[in-house]
Amino acid sequence: MRIPNAVDAVRALVGLVGLGVGLYGLVLLLDLGTDNLLATATWVVGGIVVHDAVLAPATIAVAVLAGLLLRRRLPGAWVSAAVVLATVTVVGIPVLGRFGARPDNPTLLDRDYAVGWAILAVACVAGGIMGTLVRRRAAAREGR
Amino acid sequence: MGRVTAYADRFSALRPPAEEDFTSPLRSAAVAARVGLWLGICFGLAFLTGLISHWAQEPDAWLPFPTRPTWGYRVTQGLHVVIGVAAIPLLLVKLWTVFPKLFARPPRGLRRVVLEVGERGSIGVLVGAAIFQLASGLANSAQWYPWDFRFRSTHYAMGWIAVGALALHIAIKLPVIRTALGEPVDSSTLDREGADPVASIAPGALDRRGLVRTALLAAGVAVIATAGSTVPLLRRISVLGVRSGDGPGGIPINKSARAADVVASALSPDYRLTVTFGANSRVFTREELAALRQTSRELPIACVEGWSASGRWSGVRLRDLLDLVEAPRERAVRITSLQQRGPYRATELPAQFADDPSTLLALTLDDEPLALDHGYPCRLIAPNRPGVLQTKWVTDVEVLA
Repeated sequence: MRIPNAVDAVRALVGLVGLGVGLYGLVLLLDLGTDNLLATATWVVGGIVVHDAVLAPATIAVAVLAGLLLRRRLPGAWVSAAVVLATVTVVGIPVLGRFGARPDNPTLLDRDYAVGWAILAVACVAGGIMGTLVRRRAAAREGR
Repeated sequence: MGRVTAYADRFSALRPPAEEDFTSPLRSAAVAARVGLWLGICFGLAFLTGLISHWAQEPDAWLPFPTRPTWGYRVTQGLHVVIGVAAIPLLLVKLWTVFPKLFARPPRGLRRVVLEVGERGSIGVLVGAAIFQLASGLANSAQWYPWDFRFRSTHYAMGWIAVGALALHIAIKLPVIRTALGEPVDSSTLDREGADPVASIAPGALDRRGLVRTALLAAGVAVIATAGSTVPLLRRISVLGVRSGDGPGGIPINKSARAADVVASALSPDYRLTVTFGANSRVFTREELAALRQTSRELPIACVEGWSASGRWSGVRLRDLLDLVEAPRERAVRITSLQQRGPYRATELPAQFADDPSTLLALTLDDEPLALDHGYPCRLIAPNRPGVLQTKWVTDVEVLA
């Protein structure tokens, strides 16, 4: 058996503090009642399921499809642009769906988010093109 | 092409995937540790700013919430939401890099199995809590509440759970994190079994360094695309911002007079403001309030949803009104709205805010009479205070014993 060192001590301390902090949160959550707990658990489990069973496989499917359609690996800049656009689109879901809009409050969700998203998509495409050109120029300079 | 065929073979084999099926050298601890470091910083800052927000909303805080700087809550709560937004792309990339681990084979031996179940359990709690916090916070910032739990108290409790699970995760993974961050990102020390070597990445394709940079870039773009709701400079370019910042007097509205059902009572000639201290009581019409000494202050409205805007408010100093009923200093005050319902119909204003010379019952914004949706006939505006506690349509001020 290995002799514990300073790192092990730090790990034990951080782990115990984490356990305590998490259990305190659990007590707070239980204090909110059974109905609230069930509603919360539904969303916690739902979040994991949506990621692990929908989003992650869909990402793989998109990557496979892109590979099949383009018959070659995408340049890195294009993949970067796609990752930026996809993740920022996730951030935009509540405003793109306008789910919180209220007829009596024109100051809320007061933009054209479809146009905004299109601008973002164009910016990402432009970024992908620029990134590819920069990379190509650098490769040419290196004589590759 | 070889990779694509391999994927297709696996899909046609109709068996659950195994960790080794994920061949990308980008799905690596080297990337996970680096993106995770940024993600951990985000969660730490979001937790701290979240604690500040709950402290600000606690009327009987053990330590009184300070009234200065006047823009303090604007900054901390704006940061809270901005950091949460930045964490979303980081979390998605982080989960992508570690996704193969979900399919890792269970180890042999009882002790190892018990440890594995414990670690996986803690990671399940961490992932569940992290997704919950970011998703519920994001929806709340856009005033979308598609759930049955109480947002504020549940988001608070889950914040403790998320940060606790994060600390536990860091403790468990510390040796891996230290190795990963101590070596170049392309080091093969921590490569998964079955993953292609880094050298197999074609020139010009996305490499590990590129993926880490992409995650940070995505976080930055997400912030710029949304932060205009609280950073005036970004208003024009925040194409996904919940609010452009427009509204009567240059300030957006959270709850309209119609939604609060106060249109009739706020516009009624019978409107009165009552100020009470024990047996002393004074009643004012809006005209009488306007005839008292007027004070102007530049103060922000900073909402828990993360948006904020600054305005020039004028009206009667709350302390002047309290002096008229001979209320002593250092007393908390209950402010009641014309609203008949809602958790914020009546709020308690701690003594340090009641006595502050910048705390006003505002009658005008930007030299115009308050818009009905901003709280006409008069509203509370105090420095460094969450917007939800800046009571609108005030009808009653009562000094508490």
